[in-house]
Amino acid sequence: MSWNEMLGQILMVVGGFFYFLGGLGMIRMPDVYNRLQAGTKATTLGTFSTVLGVGIAYPPFLIKSLIIIAFVALTNPVGSSVLARASYLAGVKPAPITKVDEYKGGESS
Amino acid sequence: MRRLYAILIAAGFVYMMLSFLGVVPGYGNIDLCSRVSSSFLLKDVSEQNAKNWLMAKGLETKSIEKVYGEKNKEDGCANVVTSIVVNYRSFDTLGEVTVLFTAALGVGLILGGTRRKKYGLLPNFVFRESTRILVPLIILFGAYIFVHGHLTPGGGFPGGTIIAAAALLLYLADEEFFLSKVSTGALEGSMGGLYVIAGLLGLAIGGYFLYNFLPTGRVGNLISSGIVPIVYTFIGLKVGAELSGLITDLHSEEG
Repeated sequence: MSWNEMLGQILMVVGGFFYFLGGLGMIRMPDVYNRLQAGTKATTLGTFSTVLGVGIAYPPFLIKSLIIIAFVALTNPVGSSVLARASYLAGVKPAPITKVDEYKGGESS
Repeated sequence: MRRLYAILIAAGFVYMMLSFLGVVPGYGNIDLCSRVSSSFLLKDVSEQNAKNWLMAKGLETKSIEKVYGEKNKEDGCANVVTSIVVNYRSFDTLGEVTVLFTAALGVGLILGGTRRKKYGLLPNFVFRESTRILVPLIILFGAYIFVHGHLTPGGGFPGGTIIAAAALLLYLADEEFFLSKVSTGALEGSMGGLYVIAGLLGLAIGGYFLYNFLPTGRVGNLISSGIVPIVYTFIGLKVGAELSGLITDLHSEEG
């Protein structure tokens, strides 16, 4: 096994670990916003390392995998921010332990 | 100190990318034929695994080129689904496109209007700004999907849906945006007409409606399999215009 296949498979395993963390956050986090950030952050990082691992392990697919990473970096955070804003405007309350509500513009609890 | 670390990491990335340049073939030197078709048919991206699989089957390694690269008179699609949908059962696909057209017509008759419905809600700043970057890329991706329909999974219907997703993104990001019904209707109608004309050309040349009269070429090349990519381009543009018009109907009101 050459060094780039080894590096690629390590990256794939790291990506799988981030997917696992995303699933764990979906269960453990208290409200919509925390779940949203856990899911988005984990899937963004997981997709990055998995796809980059595929590109490094099989170099003919490297350019395609870099393009996929650029697409995910453009779309995933935007989607999560739109979802968070929509759920805030629709009146979903944050969890009671939330201290700061910066969208309202102050440090009210 | 932090700047130094950043420079070191960036230099490492640059070295890694440069070291890959020896492995990646140059622009124009890729034999798309041997790569796309064998990888797609064996459902494996590794060339070595494909060769091993063929060896285990008792076939010679040379037979990759012989089976998947040779001239195929009958159809020439690397993608089996496309060869069924647009080549063997193309008349059925014409009916399918008509069904979609009728559905869009019904939505237009019930919900259509002449004015853009406004929601009085300024969209998210991040969303507005990223839409300007994303819309051309999404349209390009949709075009890629339907142009490569005979090589990889995908085709006219998914590609058209992706183009319509770009139109939906524009509607959500801009309160003033309103797609003209005339342009989508003209594109849709002309593409449907061209599909029928391609079929009639086949009838005139080969004796069958939608006969594949162009040369089929090597399996796996971009320009191969006769009229299949052309017809899929027609279908993709037609479905994209149709679904964009449907989204326009959903966002309009009488007035």
